[in-house]
Amino acid sequence: MRSRLPVLRDRRRYMAFEIEAEGELSPKDLMSEIHSSQFSLFGDAGAGQNRLKLICFDGRRGLLRFGHRYLKETRATLASIRSVRGIRAALHTKGVSGTIKCAREKYLPRLSKICAESDGRRIELKDVSGCIIRTHGVRVDLCPDDRSKSTGSDTQFLGLTSFDLSGGHEDADGTADGL
Amino acid sequence: MSYYELVSAFPESSASASRLALRARQLGYAGIIICNRDPARIFMQEAAQMIKGIDVVVGAEAGCEEAGAANRAAGRSGGCRALKSRIGSLRSKYPFLMVRGYSDEAVRTAAEDPNVDMLIHPCEGRRPLTIATARASRQNSLAMGFDLSPMMLMRGSPRARWLESLRHNLDLVRKFHLSIMITAGASSHLDLRSPRDLMAMAEIAGFEAGETEQALSLPGRLVDLNCRKWAGPGVEIL
Repeated sequence: MRSRLPVLRDRRRYMAFEIEAEGELSPKDLMSEIHSSQFSLFGDAGAGQNRLKLICFDGRRGLLRFGHRYLKETRATLASIRSVRGIRAALHTKGVSGTIKCAREKYLPRLSKICAESDGRRIELKDVSGCIIRTHGVRVDLCPDDRSKSTGSDTQFLGLTSFDLSGGHEDADGTADGL
Repeated sequence: MSYYELVSAFPESSASASRLALRARQLGYAGIIICNRDPARIFMQEAAQMIKGIDVVVGAEAGCEEAGAANRAAGRSGGCRALKSRIGSLRSKYPFLMVRGYSDEAVRTAAEDPNVDMLIHPCEGRRPLTIATARASRQNSLAMGFDLSPMMLMRGSPRARWLESLRHNLDLVRKFHLSIMITAGASSHLDLRSPRDLMAMAEIAGFEAGETEQALSLPGRLVDLNCRKWAGPGVEIL
Protein backbone atom coordinates (compact mmCIF):
# COMPACT_ATOMS: atom_id res chain seq x y z
CA MET A 1 0.00 0.00 0.00
CA ARG A 2 1.33 3.43 -0.91
CA SER A 3 1.68 5.80 2.02
CA ARG A 4 1.10 9.55 1.69
CA LEU A 5 4.41 10.56 3.27
CA PRO A 6 7.71 8.95 2.29
CA VAL A 7 8.85 9.00 5.94
CA LEU A 8 5.89 6.82 6.90
CA ARG A 9 6.71 4.21 4.28
CA ASP A 10 7.78 0.79 5.57
CA ARG A 11 11.48 0.23 5.30
CA ARG A 12 12.43 -2.71 3.14
CA ARG A 13 15.27 -5.16 2.93
CA TYR A 14 16.24 -7.49 0.10
CA MET A 15 17.33 -11.06 0.77
CA ALA A 16 19.41 -12.86 -1.83
CA PHE A 17 18.90 -16.61 -1.77
CA GLU A 18 20.10 -19.65 -3.62
CA ILE A 19 18.05 -22.74 -4.30
CA GLU A 20 19.29 -26.29 -4.66
CA ALA A 21 16.65 -28.56 -6.12
CA GLU A 22 16.28 -31.89 -7.84
CA GLY A 23 14.39 -30.37 -10.79
CA GLU A 24 13.42 -27.15 -12.52
CA LEU A 25 11.32 -24.70 -10.51
CA SER A 26 9.19 -21.83 -11.76
CA PRO A 27 9.04 -18.48 -9.88
CA LYS A 28 5.28 -18.88 -9.45
CA ASP A 29 5.58 -22.28 -7.75
CA LEU A 30 8.40 -21.05 -5.55
CA MET A 31 6.47 -17.97 -4.41
CA SER A 32 3.35 -19.99 -3.65
CA GLU A 33 5.47 -22.35 -1.52
CA ILE A 34 7.11 -19.42 0.29
CA HIS A 35 3.67 -17.94 1.04
CA SER A 36 2.36 -21.30 2.17
CA SER A 37 5.33 -21.71 4.52
CA GLN A 38 4.88 -18.20 5.89
CA PHE A 39 1.15 -18.60 6.48
CA SER A 40 1.73 -21.95 8.15
CA LEU A 41 4.46 -20.65 10.45
CA PHE A 42 3.14 -17.18 11.37
CA GLY A 43 -0.52 -17.17 10.40
CA ASP A 44 -2.44 -14.50 8.53
CA ALA A 45 -1.59 -11.77 11.04
CA GLY A 46 2.15 -12.47 10.82
CA ALA A 47 2.08 -12.66 7.04
CA GLY A 48 0.17 -9.37 6.90
CA GLN A 49 2.87 -7.58 8.86
CA ASN A 50 5.70 -8.94 6.73
CA ARG A 51 4.67 -8.89 3.06
CA LEU A 52 7.09 -10.94 0.97
CA LYS A 53 7.63 -10.26 -2.70
CA LEU A 54 9.83 -12.09 -5.14
CA ILE A 55 11.81 -9.46 -7.06
CA CYS A 56 13.65 -11.80 -9.39
CA PHE A 57 14.44 -15.49 -9.78
CA ASP A 58 16.51 -17.12 -12.50
CA GLY A 59 15.95 -20.76 -11.57
CA ARG A 60 18.85 -20.90 -9.15
CA ARG A 61 19.28 -17.56 -7.39
CA GLY A 62 16.74 -14.96 -6.46
CA LEU A 63 15.91 -11.82 -4.53
CA LEU A 64 13.11 -11.51 -1.99
CA ARG A 65 11.74 -8.30 -0.48
CA PHE A 66 10.69 -8.21 3.18
CA GLY A 67 10.12 -5.77 6.05
CA HIS A 68 13.31 -4.64 7.81
CA ARG A 69 12.13 -5.80 11.23
CA TYR A 70 11.39 -9.35 10.14
CA LEU A 71 14.77 -10.77 9.17
CA LYS A 72 14.59 -13.72 11.58
CA GLU A 73 11.06 -14.60 10.50
CA THR A 74 11.97 -14.43 6.81
CA ARG A 75 15.02 -16.63 7.30
CA ALA A 76 12.92 -19.18 9.19
CA THR A 77 10.25 -19.09 6.47
CA LEU A 78 12.78 -19.94 3.77
CA ALA A 79 14.60 -22.50 5.92
CA SER A 80 11.43 -24.44 6.67
CA ILE A 81 10.74 -25.14 2.98
CA ARG A 82 11.52 -28.74 2.13
CA SER A 83 9.94 -29.24 -1.28
CA VAL A 84 8.33 -27.14 -4.01
CA ARG A 85 5.42 -28.85 -5.81
CA GLY A 86 6.77 -32.24 -4.80
CA ILE A 87 10.35 -31.53 -5.94
CA ARG A 88 12.86 -31.73 -3.11
CA ALA A 89 14.54 -28.35 -2.68
CA ALA A 90 16.59 -26.40 -0.16
CA LEU A 91 16.68 -22.60 0.05
CA HIS A 92 19.82 -21.00 1.45
CA THR A 93 20.04 -17.30 2.18
CA LYS A 94 23.14 -15.64 0.73
CA GLY A 95 22.79 -12.25 2.38
CA VAL A 96 20.63 -9.22 3.05
CA SER A 97 20.91 -5.73 1.65
CA GLY A 98 19.05 -2.43 1.76
CA THR A 99 18.74 -1.86 -1.97
CA ILE A 100 18.14 -4.09 -4.97
CA LYS A 101 21.23 -2.73 -6.70
CA CYS A 102 23.49 -3.46 -3.76
CA ALA A 103 22.03 -6.94 -3.26
CA ARG A 104 22.61 -7.77 -6.93
CA GLU A 105 26.19 -6.52 -6.86
CA LYS A 106 27.10 -8.28 -3.64
CA TYR A 107 25.27 -11.56 -3.78
CA LEU A 108 24.03 -12.25 -7.31
CA PRO A 109 27.04 -12.46 -9.61
CA ARG A 110 26.50 -13.08 -13.29
CA LEU A 111 25.48 -16.68 -13.62
CA SER A 112 27.95 -19.08 -15.08
CA LYS A 113 26.49 -21.76 -17.27
CA ILE A 114 25.66 -24.84 -15.26
CA CYS A 115 26.95 -28.07 -16.70
CA ALA A 116 23.87 -30.27 -16.68
CA GLU A 117 24.75 -33.57 -18.17
CA SER A 118 22.50 -36.60 -18.38
CA ASP A 119 24.21 -38.51 -21.13
CA GLY A 120 23.49 -41.93 -19.75
CA ARG A 121 26.86 -42.47 -18.09
CA ARG A 122 26.74 -45.14 -15.45
CA ILE A 123 28.44 -45.74 -12.13
CA GLU A 124 29.18 -49.30 -11.13
CA LEU A 125 30.66 -49.50 -7.65
CA LYS A 126 30.48 -52.25 -5.09
CA ASP A 127 28.02 -50.41 -2.83
CA VAL A 128 26.14 -48.31 -5.33
CA SER A 129 25.27 -48.36 -9.03
CA GLY A 130 23.12 -46.14 -11.24
CA CYS A 131 22.92 -43.43 -13.90
CA ILE A 132 24.43 -39.97 -13.55
CA ILE A 133 21.71 -37.33 -13.76
CA ARG A 134 23.85 -34.20 -13.55
CA THR A 135 27.24 -32.99 -12.48
CA HIS A 136 28.14 -29.55 -11.06
CA GLY A 137 31.89 -29.32 -10.55
CA VAL A 138 32.79 -32.13 -8.17
CA ARG A 139 29.16 -32.72 -7.22
CA VAL A 140 27.40 -35.65 -8.82
CA ASP A 141 23.69 -36.50 -8.64
CA LEU A 142 23.06 -40.17 -9.21
CA CYS A 143 19.82 -42.05 -9.88
CA PRO A 144 20.41 -45.38 -8.12
CA ASP A 145 19.32 -48.69 -9.68
CA ASP A 146 18.08 -49.78 -6.28
CA ARG A 147 15.49 -47.11 -5.43
CA SER A 148 15.36 -48.24 -1.81
CA LYS A 149 18.80 -46.64 -1.34
CA SER A 150 17.22 -43.19 -0.93
CA THR A 151 14.15 -44.14 1.07
CA GLY A 152 13.60 -42.21 4.27
CA SER A 153 14.84 -38.90 2.93
CA ASP A 154 12.29 -38.46 0.07
CA THR A 155 14.96 -37.67 -2.50
CA GLN A 156 15.00 -39.03 -6.04
CA PHE A 157 18.76 -38.95 -6.41
CA LEU A 158 21.82 -39.78 -4.36
CA GLY A 159 24.18 -36.90 -3.69
CA LEU A 160 27.81 -37.95 -4.30
CA THR A 161 31.05 -36.24 -5.22
CA SER A 162 33.77 -37.19 -7.66
CA PHE A 163 35.91 -38.07 -4.62
CA ASP A 164 33.51 -40.93 -3.88
CA LEU A 165 33.96 -42.30 -7.37
CA SER A 166 37.75 -42.29 -7.59
CA GLY A 167 39.21 -45.74 -7.90
CA GLY A 168 35.94 -47.06 -9.30
CA HIS A 169 34.94 -50.61 -9.96
CA GLU A 170 36.50 -52.37 -12.92
CA ASP A 171 33.10 -52.59 -14.64
CA ALA A 172 32.68 -48.79 -14.65
CA ASP A 173 32.82 -47.29 -18.13
CA GLY A 174 34.81 -44.18 -18.91
CA THR A 175 37.82 -42.73 -17.19
CA ALA A 176 39.86 -43.88 -14.24
CA ASP A 177 38.01 -41.57 -11.84
CA GLY A 178 34.98 -43.82 -12.17
CA LEU A 179 32.91 -41.46 -14.32
CA MET B 1 32.44 -19.32 16.55
CA SER B 2 33.00 -22.73 14.97
CA TYR B 3 29.73 -24.45 14.35
CA TYR B 4 29.27 -28.21 13.93
CA GLU B 5 26.33 -30.12 12.52
CA LEU B 6 25.23 -33.72 13.08
CA VAL B 7 24.43 -35.66 9.89
CA SER B 8 23.75 -39.19 8.68
CA ALA B 9 25.67 -40.38 5.64
CA PHE B 10 24.96 -42.95 2.94
CA PRO B 11 23.85 -45.82 3.28
CA GLU B 12 21.66 -44.51 6.12
CA SER B 13 20.81 -41.35 4.18
CA SER B 14 20.79 -40.32 0.53
CA ALA B 15 24.02 -38.31 0.41
CA SER B 16 27.60 -39.46 0.76
CA ALA B 17 29.85 -38.16 3.53
CA SER B 18 31.89 -36.09 1.08
CA ARG B 19 28.79 -34.46 -0.46
CA LEU B 20 27.53 -33.55 3.00
CA ALA B 21 30.96 -32.17 3.92
CA LEU B 22 31.10 -30.12 0.72
CA ARG B 23 27.66 -28.64 1.30
CA ALA B 24 28.31 -27.97 5.00
CA ARG B 25 31.52 -26.12 4.13
CA GLN B 26 29.64 -23.93 1.65
CA LEU B 27 27.04 -23.16 4.31
CA GLY B 28 29.68 -22.02 6.81
CA TYR B 29 30.12 -24.94 9.19
CA ALA B 30 33.52 -25.63 10.71
CA GLY B 31 32.82 -29.33 10.84
CA ILE B 32 30.32 -32.16 10.58
CA ILE B 33 29.87 -35.17 12.83
CA ILE B 34 28.62 -38.24 10.98
CA CYS B 35 26.37 -40.15 13.35
CA ASN B 36 25.33 -43.36 11.62
CA ARG B 37 23.87 -46.32 13.49
CA ASP B 38 26.50 -48.51 11.83
CA PRO B 39 29.58 -46.24 11.49
CA ALA B 40 31.74 -49.05 10.09
CA ARG B 41 29.65 -49.16 6.90
CA ILE B 42 29.84 -45.46 5.90
CA PHE B 43 30.25 -45.23 2.11
CA MET B 44 33.66 -43.83 1.05
CA GLN B 45 34.45 -42.28 4.40
CA GLU B 46 38.00 -41.51 3.28
CA ALA B 47 36.65 -39.36 0.40
CA ALA B 48 35.17 -36.96 2.96
CA GLN B 49 38.61 -36.43 4.47
CA MET B 50 39.77 -35.10 1.08
CA ILE B 51 37.43 -32.09 1.36
CA LYS B 52 39.64 -29.27 2.61
CA GLY B 53 38.52 -26.60 5.04
CA ILE B 54 36.09 -28.68 7.06
CA ASP B 55 36.55 -31.06 9.95
CA VAL B 56 34.85 -34.41 9.33
CA VAL B 57 34.40 -36.44 12.52
CA VAL B 58 32.93 -39.93 12.61
CA GLY B 59 30.70 -40.34 15.61
CA ALA B 60 28.06 -42.95 16.28
CA GLU B 61 24.41 -43.23 17.10
CA ALA B 62 23.66 -45.91 19.65
CA GLY B 63 20.09 -46.67 18.68
CA CYS B 64 18.45 -50.03 19.21
CA GLU B 65 15.02 -49.27 17.82
CA GLU B 66 14.70 -52.68 16.18
CA ALA B 67 15.95 -54.57 19.23
CA GLY B 68 13.66 -52.60 21.51
CA ALA B 69 10.63 -53.18 19.28
CA ALA B 70 11.36 -56.92 19.03
CA ASN B 71 11.72 -57.21 22.78
CA ARG B 72 8.55 -55.27 23.44
CA ALA B 73 6.68 -57.52 21.01
CA ALA B 74 8.02 -60.59 22.82
CA GLY B 75 7.11 -59.12 26.21
CA ARG B 76 10.74 -58.83 27.36
CA SER B 77 12.58 -55.77 28.62
CA GLY B 78 15.98 -56.57 27.13
CA GLY B 79 16.15 -53.42 24.94
CA CYS B 80 17.68 -51.56 27.85
CA ARG B 81 20.49 -54.10 28.24
CA ALA B 82 21.13 -54.16 24.47
CA LEU B 83 21.40 -50.37 24.41
CA LYS B 84 23.77 -50.35 27.39
CA SER B 85 26.09 -52.89 25.80
CA ARG B 86 25.98 -51.01 22.48
CA ILE B 87 26.93 -47.75 24.22
CA GLY B 88 29.80 -49.54 25.99
CA SER B 89 31.15 -51.03 22.78
CA LEU B 90 30.92 -47.77 20.76
CA ARG B 91 32.33 -45.41 23.41
CA SER B 92 35.94 -46.48 23.10
CA LYS B 93 35.93 -46.34 19.27
CA TYR B 94 34.24 -43.01 18.49
CA PRO B 95 34.74 -39.51 19.92
CA PHE B 96 31.05 -38.60 19.81
CA LEU B 97 28.16 -40.79 20.87
CA MET B 98 24.51 -39.87 20.67
CA VAL B 99 21.29 -41.68 21.47
CA ARG B 100 17.87 -41.05 19.96
CA GLY B 101 15.11 -41.57 22.47
CA TYR B 102 12.80 -43.83 20.48
CA SER B 103 11.21 -45.16 23.68
CA ASP B 104 10.97 -44.24 27.37
CA GLU B 105 13.28 -47.14 28.10
CA ALA B 106 15.97 -45.83 25.75
CA VAL B 107 15.67 -42.29 27.14
CA ARG B 108 16.03 -43.52 30.73
CA THR B 109 18.96 -45.80 29.91
CA ALA B 110 20.82 -43.10 28.01
CA ALA B 111 20.22 -40.47 30.69
CA GLU B 112 21.71 -42.73 33.36
CA ASP B 113 24.83 -43.56 31.32
CA PRO B 114 27.76 -41.12 31.62
CA ASN B 115 29.30 -42.54 28.41
CA VAL B 116 26.68 -40.85 26.26
CA ASP B 117 27.45 -37.35 24.95
CA MET B 118 24.03 -36.35 23.73
CA LEU B 119 20.46 -37.51 24.05
CA ILE B 120 17.99 -36.46 21.37
CA HIS B 121 14.60 -36.43 22.97
CA PRO B 122 11.65 -36.80 20.61
CA CYS B 123 9.40 -33.86 21.39
CA GLU B 124 6.13 -35.75 21.57
CA GLY B 125 3.13 -34.58 23.57
CA ARG B 126 2.45 -38.06 24.92
CA ARG B 127 6.04 -38.63 26.05
CA PRO B 128 7.39 -35.36 27.48
CA LEU B 129 10.80 -35.03 29.08
CA THR B 130 10.46 -36.03 32.72
CA ILE B 131 12.07 -34.48 35.79
CA ALA B 132 13.82 -37.78 36.59
CA THR B 133 15.40 -37.89 33.11
CA ALA B 134 16.47 -34.24 33.30
CA ARG B 135 18.01 -34.78 36.75
CA ALA B 136 19.85 -37.93 35.63
CA SER B 137 21.13 -36.08 32.54
CA ARG B 138 22.43 -33.29 34.75
CA GLN B 139 24.24 -35.75 37.02
CA ASN B 140 25.86 -37.53 34.07
CA SER B 141 26.68 -34.29 32.14
CA LEU B 142 24.59 -35.24 29.12
CA ALA B 143 23.68 -32.61 26.58
CA MET B 144 20.08 -32.51 25.46
CA GLY B 145 19.71 -32.44 21.69
CA PHE B 146 16.79 -30.95 19.79
CA ASP B 147 16.17 -32.19 16.27
CA LEU B 148 14.51 -29.34 14.32
CA SER B 149 13.64 -31.46 11.27
CA PRO B 150 9.91 -31.67 12.25
CA MET B 151 9.80 -27.91 11.71
CA MET B 152 10.56 -28.57 8.02
CA LEU B 153 8.69 -31.85 7.69
CA MET B 154 5.40 -30.97 9.33
CA ARG B 155 2.76 -28.31 8.73
CA GLY B 156 -0.35 -27.22 10.61
CA SER B 157 -1.56 -28.82 13.82
CA PRO B 158 1.09 -31.59 14.08
CA ARG B 159 3.76 -28.89 13.99
CA ALA B 160 1.88 -26.81 16.57
CA ARG B 161 1.76 -29.83 18.90
CA TRP B 162 5.46 -30.47 18.32
CA LEU B 163 6.29 -26.83 19.11
CA GLU B 164 4.24 -27.00 22.31
CA SER B 165 6.06 -30.13 23.41
CA LEU B 166 9.44 -28.60 22.50
CA ARG B 167 8.70 -25.52 24.65
CA HIS B 168 7.76 -27.77 27.57
CA ASN B 169 11.00 -29.76 27.24
CA LEU B 170 12.99 -26.56 26.87
CA ASP B 171 11.59 -25.17 30.13
CA LEU B 172 12.72 -28.30 31.95
CA VAL B 173 16.16 -28.20 30.30
CA ARG B 174 16.62 -24.58 31.42
CA LYS B 175 15.46 -25.41 34.95
CA PHE B 176 18.10 -28.15 35.30
CA HIS B 177 20.80 -26.11 33.47
CA LEU B 178 21.43 -28.80 30.86
CA SER B 179 23.60 -28.09 27.82
CA ILE B 180 21.58 -27.69 24.64
CA MET B 181 22.38 -28.79 21.11
CA ILE B 182 20.36 -28.18 17.99
CA THR B 183 20.55 -30.01 14.70
CA ALA B 184 18.63 -30.07 11.43
CA GLY B 185 18.72 -33.90 11.49
CA ALA B 186 20.01 -33.98 7.92
CA SER B 187 19.46 -37.23 6.06
CA SER B 188 20.35 -35.65 2.71
CA HIS B 189 22.44 -32.71 1.50
CA LEU B 190 19.13 -30.95 0.79
CA ASP B 191 18.24 -31.09 4.49
CA LEU B 192 21.28 -29.11 5.60
CA ARG B 193 20.63 -25.51 6.66
CA SER B 194 23.18 -22.77 7.28
CA PRO B 195 23.95 -21.91 10.93
CA ARG B 196 22.12 -18.58 10.66
CA ASP B 197 19.02 -20.19 9.16
CA LEU B 198 19.07 -22.89 11.83
CA MET B 199 19.41 -20.24 14.55
CA ALA B 200 16.48 -18.28 13.09
CA MET B 201 14.35 -21.42 13.05
CA ALA B 202 15.34 -22.26 16.62
CA GLU B 203 14.52 -18.74 17.82
CA ILE B 204 11.10 -18.96 16.21
CA ALA B 205 10.62 -22.31 17.98
CA GLY B 206 11.36 -20.76 21.38
CA PHE B 207 15.13 -20.81 21.92
CA GLU B 208 16.99 -17.69 22.95
CA ALA B 209 19.67 -16.11 20.74
CA GLY B 210 22.58 -16.93 23.06
CA GLU B 211 21.38 -20.49 23.53
CA THR B 212 21.35 -21.24 19.81
CA GLU B 213 24.94 -20.05 19.32
CA GLN B 214 26.14 -22.18 22.23
CA ALA B 215 24.06 -25.10 20.97
CA LEU B 216 25.72 -25.11 17.55
CA SER B 217 29.27 -24.83 18.87
CA LEU B 218 28.88 -27.42 21.65
CA PRO B 219 29.40 -30.58 19.49
CA GLY B 220 32.79 -29.29 18.36
CA ARG B 221 33.88 -28.60 21.95
CA LEU B 222 32.73 -32.06 23.06
CA VAL B 223 34.61 -33.79 20.24
CA ASP B 224 37.72 -31.81 21.14
CA LEU B 225 37.44 -32.88 24.79
CA ASN B 226 36.78 -36.53 23.91
CA CYS B 227 39.77 -36.70 21.56
CA ARG B 228 42.15 -35.80 24.38
CA LYS B 229 43.42 -38.49 26.75
CA TRP B 230 42.07 -38.30 30.27
CA ALA B 231 43.51 -40.33 33.16
CA GLY B 232 40.60 -39.32 35.37
CA PRO B 233 38.22 -36.42 35.94
CA GLY B 234 40.31 -33.25 35.49
CA VAL B 235 43.58 -35.16 34.87
CA GLU B 236 44.86 -35.13 31.29
CA ILE B 237 47.73 -37.22 29.89
CA LEU B 238 49.90 -34.95 27.76
